[in-house]
Amino acid sequence: MVVVGAGIVGAATCYFLSQRGFRVRLIEASAPASAASGAADGAVSVASKRPGPMMTAALAGIALYRQLERDGLFAGLFKSRPTMMVAENEKEAEKLVEHSAALAGEGMRLRHLEGGALRQHLPGVAPHVRLAVEVGEEGHAIGYEIVRRLIAASGVTVERGVAVTGLAPKSDGKTVTAVRTARGAVEADHVVIAAGGGSAALLGLPDATRPRKGQLVVTERSPALAASLPGSLMSCRYLLSKDAIRAASAETGRRFGLVIDPLRTGQFLIGSTREEREDTGNDHDAVSRLLASAVKLMPALAHLRAIRVFAGVRTATRDGLPIVGRMPDIENLLVATGFEGDGICLGPLVGREIARLVAGETTELDLTPFAPGRFEPRSLVA
Amino acid sequence: MDRPADIVCDTLVVGGGAAGVAAAAELCRAGLTVELAEQRPALGGAYYRQPAGRAAGMQAGDRRARQWSRLEDELRRAAVTPRLRHVFLGVDTDGLVLLDDRNGGRVRTVRTRAVIVAVGAVERVLPRPGWQLDGVVTAGGLQMLIKETGEAPRGDIVIAGNGPLAVALAADLARLGRPPVAVVEAGDPLARPLAALRMAAFPGLVAEAAAHLVRVRAAGTPWLRGSRLTSISREDGRLLASIEDRNGATRRIRADTVALHDGIRPNDFGLPATARGEPFVLRAGDCREALGVGAAEADGRAAAREAVALLTGTAPRRHAPEVSRQRRAQAVLGALFKPVRDDGGLAALPDETVLCRCEGRTVGQLRAMLTEPDPVGPREIKLNGRFGMGSCQGRFCADNVQALIAAARPGTVAGPLSRDRWPARPVLIAALAAEEETREE
Repeated sequence: MVVVGAGIVGAATCYFLSQRGFRVRLIEASAPASAASGAADGAVSVASKRPGPMMTAALAGIALYRQLERDGLFAGLFKSRPTMMVAENEKEAEKLVEHSAALAGEGMRLRHLEGGALRQHLPGVAPHVRLAVEVGEEGHAIGYEIVRRLIAASGVTVERGVAVTGLAPKSDGKTVTAVRTARGAVEADHVVIAAGGGSAALLGLPDATRPRKGQLVVTERSPALAASLPGSLMSCRYLLSKDAIRAASAETGRRFGLVIDPLRTGQFLIGSTREEREDTGNDHDAVSRLLASAVKLMPALAHLRAIRVFAGVRTATRDGLPIVGRMPDIENLLVATGFEGDGICLGPLVGREIARLVAGETTELDLTPFAPGRFEPRSLVA
Repeated sequence: MDRPADIVCDTLVVGGGAAGVAAAAELCRAGLTVELAEQRPALGGAYYRQPAGRAAGMQAGDRRARQWSRLEDELRRAAVTPRLRHVFLGVDTDGLVLLDDRNGGRVRTVRTRAVIVAVGAVERVLPRPGWQLDGVVTAGGLQMLIKETGEAPRGDIVIAGNGPLAVALAADLARLGRPPVAVVEAGDPLARPLAALRMAAFPGLVAEAAAHLVRVRAAGTPWLRGSRLTSISREDGRLLASIEDRNGATRRIRADTVALHDGIRPNDFGLPATARGEPFVLRAGDCREALGVGAAEADGRAAAREAVALLTGTAPRRHAPEVSRQRRAQAVLGALFKPVRDDGGLAALPDETVLCRCEGRTVGQLRAMLTEPDPVGPREIKLNGRFGMGSCQGRFCADNVQALIAAARPGTVAGPLSRDRWPARPVLIAALAAEEETREE
């Protein structure tokens, strides 16, 4: 087995394949969790999802985190906490009511908070916040910590700094025999491409994915303030932002979502932008606007110091759904990429499902909506 | 992105020590508009640190003091009004320089064509068991405190480490009538006659050192050469320093303050990389090369001339004979203060030694990561080991972590742990947040 990419999806795939007794080589162009997995907001959350395949996947993803935490693999790495979706104005409140009805329709347990109950439960949020909906049984995990745990448990030695330059198909084009790297070809019975933004080019799906950058801020430790927040605060703008992104007219724009997440360390993680670019720099304009919204929502944050800013580049797809499954017509080539902002939540789950596919089993999650065949492939042989 | 910058200028100098002030004056002379940002309430840098508020403080000796008043005059004639209490945060991806204006409580953006960073050196302090305890300070930090307040901390003081600064600090304390109970020095300058001879080429330094030594001797402070402070513990509310001499004999000294110092190094923590396009980023003074105050002015002027050349499209040339001279002086000082024996350095530290004081991570925790079968890289060590992830951003541990990685993996070069991302210093969110929220909709 060769897995290309040691982000959370590749690491999880490697782990679940190793568990099944397969011999796996994990090939990584840079270092584990060096791209999106190491610069993510860490949400293991369904709160912002609409009913549909992504919601189903997110629920299964959260359930797997819980299970792996109970089993010990993720012990100490998964912080169970609710997401508090908050509406700051009339428009957002309407959106939130509509959204929470959809979540409730899927049987999710929610709590609506208004007036005195809202103040009591969320003393730190600003008075103008009129409605909060608590989505329970979610959590937070730090991508690079999960990746490290998965790799350690796999027992593999990551082949760091080895860029995969292409695939070597058999002459009939129906199977691949090896991956090509700068250090020579690596033969494999199965190849799994989990290389984030680098996947599409390897697979001959050049236009299927696009980079979408997000900037985030980490504060100093403030255990008391962090403890006063029972879960993460998610502005409903996140929903509007997602809507706006879907509109073709917004393709060049920069959107601001807002999630304020209290971490295990007592620090806060504040994110993030959605930008149609792929650099990992930080600009004052974006960070200062992000923080202005954060302070507006939770005024006490103003008294903390920001100690670090960073940026990650999500791999988004044209239709907003990830690409997971067997490549059409190439029986031993699989792909798992395009998770945009859901890689941390879905990574372990997808790794498990890919391992099932490799083993010839039926997957627990219906992967049909994520099938790579929905994009027009370019021949690998060409 | 589209918002106008708060400040627009041809050039920005960061740091109001000798290097920065000289650079600012030189840039002005070239007809460029100059802004000078200094994080402290007054200019002066480390060497010419001014008394804070109404405190008496302690001034540099006469010869040096003349240099400072000359530089101050020059700056005044150049009509540069320094922006005091402005902390440099870095350069963002839009090319804007960010200054944390602690007077106004706002981060100011600066659009400029060239930045000269002259923020001074970083003091090196090697970890030792117990160095994280309260009451353990850096010698450089203690010297700044004395210059600002004119007072020494209460109780007994031990200075330990390596290099001439320890003696200078001991002399300052003696002048205040509070000589340290001991100065522990890993080297033995009196046993390096060849290096001492070469010092004759630098009479100014020799005179300065002699004056310090005479003062320390007169105060009766023992100068324990060829000795090392190996650990610090706390006993009955005081610090107990274990000192090992060149023969391996150990003695213990009680103190209330332990000031550590293992030299200085250039500063690249959180600073932007030298840039080839606008804004050009140059470094000057100790933050470029730790040569001390003797080279600072010349290096600042050289950086300014280089900036002018870059902005006018002529070939930049950095030529400063005084800087070369001070480089030779530092090399001789290094030979003079060379530790008398190799104690194994970081590799000999016991596992429980704290390596990263911000996050409380130990040498043993790093060693455990390095002995795993999967060869984790520097960034993985930083993120998962949390080394250098605290508020100081690795200022005090990144070097040591890197050295330990290199020691554990002979033949490999460990990548840097520090990074050049802003903010170089923690910044209050109230200051960084935009004044008005921008909503889309």
